[in-house]
Amino acid sequence: MDRIKSRTYTYWLAIPGLLLFSVFFLVPAFFGVLLSLTNTIGIDFSKFSFAGLSNYALIFEEPELRVAVFNTFLFAFITTVCKVGFALFLAVILNMKIRGRNALRTIFFLPAVLNSVAVGLIFISMMHPQTGFINRTLRLLGLGFLAKDWLADPHLAIFSVASIEIWRWTGFCMVILLTGLQSIPQDVYEAGDIDGASPWQRFRYITFPLVLPAFNNAFILSLVGGLKVFDLVQCTTQGGPGYATQVFGTLVFSSFSQGRFGEGCAESIALSIVVAIFAIPSYLGIQKKEVET
Amino acid sequence: MNANRITENVAGLFPCGKRSEKSAEKVGTHVASDTDPNMRKGWLTFWTIALWLVGGITILIPVYLVVINSFKSKTEAALMNFSLPTKWLFGNYAEMIADGGILTGLKNSVIITVTCVAVIVLFSSQLAFVLQRRKSRLSSALSKIMLLGIIIPVQIIPSVLFSKMLHLTPYVSAIFVLIVANFSIAVFLYTGFLKSIPAELDESAILDGASPLILFFRIIFPLLRPVTMTVIIISFLAIWNDFGNTIYFLNSSANYTITLTIYNFFGDNNSSWQLVFANVVFASLPVVIVFLTLQRNIIAGMTAGSVKG
Repeated sequence: MDRIKSRTYTYWLAIPGLLLFSVFFLVPAFFGVLLSLTNTIGIDFSKFSFAGLSNYALIFEEPELRVAVFNTFLFAFITTVCKVGFALFLAVILNMKIRGRNALRTIFFLPAVLNSVAVGLIFISMMHPQTGFINRTLRLLGLGFLAKDWLADPHLAIFSVASIEIWRWTGFCMVILLTGLQSIPQDVYEAGDIDGASPWQRFRYITFPLVLPAFNNAFILSLVGGLKVFDLVQCTTQGGPGYATQVFGTLVFSSFSQGRFGEGCAESIALSIVVAIFAIPSYLGIQKKEVET
Repeated sequence: MNANRITENVAGLFPCGKRSEKSAEKVGTHVASDTDPNMRKGWLTFWTIALWLVGGITILIPVYLVVINSFKSKTEAALMNFSLPTKWLFGNYAEMIADGGILTGLKNSVIITVTCVAVIVLFSSQLAFVLQRRKSRLSSALSKIMLLGIIIPVQIIPSVLFSKMLHLTPYVSAIFVLIVANFSIAVFLYTGFLKSIPAELDESAILDGASPLILFFRIIFPLLRPVTMTVIIISFLAIWNDFGNTIYFLNSSANYTITLTIYNFFGDNNSSWQLVFANVVFASLPVVIVFLTLQRNIIAGMTAGSVKG
């Protein structure tokens, strides 16, 4: 039997995929760990020297890098809370029989298929200090004092970029939550109705607990996405003004463009470790659930 | 399992009634007596209007502004207002196409995306088949290693240096990196789906004399169609829209993808908003058209992809 098995499911079928993955994922990852322990500047490897963990220590010592670490967590936190919160709100409403809900779902989902550069440019124009839609509307409403230079004000810029990210992915989270909502059997609600549950009780004791798996999913996805953010920041502020919107992703890129490969690798690996800390428990959870069902 | 527990919880919370045979009737009377149906309807109308307003203001207005301003003259477009163009300048598109390398970008994007998606579908389904069917220690170890690819992002700097050491052109290296960046999730999705295809099927095919390759390509692969759709959709969107990986590799306008052309076009023309908007519209149109025609599949595919990864 085992012989038949090994012949039927021959590893020859698996080799192209394994080879590709090893050469372009595992080997570079390993190489990256080595590089992160060296002072590699430029492509000339003859001149590198062993640096120990000093590249990692830099992340905590250099004030500019510390700003980036802080910004990354701030960004991930704000975007996750808002995306999932707004998405839950939208999903609950779009699960009711309101007019044109399919069209609305499509509209809210649309930003998720646009590329980040296009999204970035749309918002650079919307957030334009003089002529942008946002400030124009504020002035029209007599709230001109709230009109700001959204992407150039160092105190605001990170929040502005975060709000673009929220705009882009809320619809996506909403759909994840909607699939969760639609898997709730109708009779549970009927049971709740009979027992006289108020709308809030319906949400708190029926909808929310049953939608929790989908909720966790959207949550962890947003969190990891927020920690890994790079493209949106790169297209809107490039980490500026100054270091105000620097995040891990842009740090890696700027180290790379300046040829400080050792530092870049250390930053990239530090980010991977942070992401793994948040992501691994959730994947183990998913796997366990699959075993149960 | 969860659902049952929750039903009990609900019943426990409101101990006044267990569901009886006449539940439907009861619901009817209950709703009528307790909440005024008109009020319920009123709330629905309220939410309908509210949501259309929110969707309209946050999503349709930006889209409208971008489209409308792409047809204006330079001075008019700089104002970025709502009014229709005094003169519709379709020539902006011609100017933008002539100026930027957007057609090259389109061509590069198509080549890169099609290659990557084809390789991902083919290799990941084969790999998943072997790893899922062989229940050996080696295969489960390999599955775990593959899972790493979902959790840990591609280490991009060493990838760049490594491809340089292999003397790969930037174009080819970008293709390889985009493949591995989206490979693990595909393997994961295929593995999950393969569990639902009974192994008895393989056995009977082998007994009937099918070779392993025939078994996979003629019998198994066609059965994987739904998940293949999902894999195609998520990898198509991820690769077509990629910016974070390709920016490290593609560094000359000859090999820019469409995403990179918009990025660089804005860098060069940031005072000509009409051209920038025309560029954004032109570059987004393919994806938006695909999305609107296949929206059901795309939304389902992207959610399925996320649920597992």
